[in-house]
Amino acid sequence: MSATTLTIQRVSPDAIARVIDDAPLEPFGLTDAHRRALAARLGAITTDHHRRLDSWLVERGGRVAARFAWSPLAARRLLGSGGFRRALRGRAASIRDGVRDEIEDLLARAASGRAHRGSLGDWLAHRHPAELALVQASAVEWARILAETGATVTGDWTVASADAYYDVERARTTLRARRDLLVLDGEVVVRVRAGGPTPSAGPGLRADLAAAAFAHPDGRAPRRYVGIWPDAGVILAVDGTLANVRAGTRDLVRATIALHRQGELRAA
Amino acid sequence: MTPTTTPARSILEDLRGDRSERPPRDIETAAGLRATLDAELLAIRSVPARTSPLVISASDVTHHGDAVDITHATSGRLRGALIGQLIRLVAVGHEIIDPFDDALRAWRLDSPSPTLIAAYADLDANGRARLATDVAAHAASLRRALADVPSAWAVRTAVRARVPLAGGVVVLHDVVDLVVGSYCDASSSTVLLDVTTSPIGRSATSLLGFHAFVHCLRTSVVPLRVAIFSTATGELISRDVDETWLELAANDVLDVARRA
Repeated sequence: MSATTLTIQRVSPDAIARVIDDAPLEPFGLTDAHRRALAARLGAITTDHHRRLDSWLVERGGRVAARFAWSPLAARRLLGSGGFRRALRGRAASIRDGVRDEIEDLLARAASGRAHRGSLGDWLAHRHPAELALVQASAVEWARILAETGATVTGDWTVASADAYYDVERARTTLRARRDLLVLDGEVVVRVRAGGPTPSAGPGLRADLAAAAFAHPDGRAPRRYVGIWPDAGVILAVDGTLANVRAGTRDLVRATIALHRQGELRAA
Repeated sequence: MTPTTTPARSILEDLRGDRSERPPRDIETAAGLRATLDAELLAIRSVPARTSPLVISASDVTHHGDAVDITHATSGRLRGALIGQLIRLVAVGHEIIDPFDDALRAWRLDSPSPTLIAAYADLDANGRARLATDVAAHAASLRRALADVPSAWAVRTAVRARVPLAGGVVVLHDVVDLVVGSYCDASSSTVLLDVTTSPIGRSATSLLGFHAFVHCLRTSVVPLRVAIFSTATGELISRDVDETWLELAANDVLDVARRA
């Protein structure tokens, strides 16, 4: 079996373009046998609820994070990406206006009773104008990072409208591939991350790569999955090879086992 | 170094300067600086080996020995944190009605440090009233200086950096209050602005150098200009960034690493 690879670069105006241009031309493709094997492995790890597996879980070694609560940091990806999409499509004069419009739409939904309890719209509806402005500032910050990243890409790119999901048959499990920018119609996927890369950043990217391959209707892996840590000025990338997809799948399964053991410990 | 008092128009407008006079962006300097610094840091930090990285932040390069800086006082830090929040609100066009209330609400939502939360909780009614008055005065100075920030400008606030050096043996931490421009532009266009609620001290040169240096390493592009504005005095000090100055900033980092 060939070894997994991890490309490391410093952020610079031409580094992202280089990382994308150097992506292998023929990525690995999954078959039905791969899907059946994954379903068998995850189906064997019992669960009493539907579980969602992603790179975040892999990076935390299967440990469940504290209960989710909305915050400016938690909201910035959704609002920032949405606001940036509006600006790109000419539906807002600027990123700042696009983010403001995203917030106002969610507030309007909440005001008309269409926001679920615990949703972002519901949370925003209970915020003071100054708090909303902070949420907007945080989302604008995110959107500007996406804009700077996009500005350095040479091929066609779009802001991902959603992450990629794959429901694993008979395993009560959904895989999630986080993605922020899709280059060349998703042949290369870019993720933007806060802080600096940890030692588990590589496994995290491989988990995203594997989830994206399973989520693709034809099982086609992205040619390259790129993670950008603008705070640290670091770019990491994994290629869509058999070795990387296998490693990503294996780490997702391991994280599921760790998750299962935690559940058993809590129940004991 | 160019010291001025608060100008009639927005300081950001002044700092951005004339677009036609901007030099081409410099993407050569960062790699050389990094290579030199990495080699020197590895030599310094190899003995004794550390299990955790040495974290160097702006306060390490600006505070030597037992020098006292009023920003270190808890009330000063609280005031600075609240004004920091107002910068973020002003940058997205928020109309500030009650500076203290707005700043406090934003600060509380923004996961403040437990130390500052405790410090605020310890303030009695008089202490809070004094802080509110103080914040209102500094906010007025800030609003005059920043004026209305156009929505089309590429403005980012509270821009964080966590740059690993020498294979992660040393990590540079920094937060710049406001950044205008993009490192992707063909000409050098990035301006970094630090806002302090204290009078500008003697260490301003080192502070600005550190901001410019970390930004340069983070983006691989030399920023155009870096500045500090005092909401206490209305003083603005700005400096164009060049290679020589970045080398001095790199030496400051090395000095901290040697002392650690």
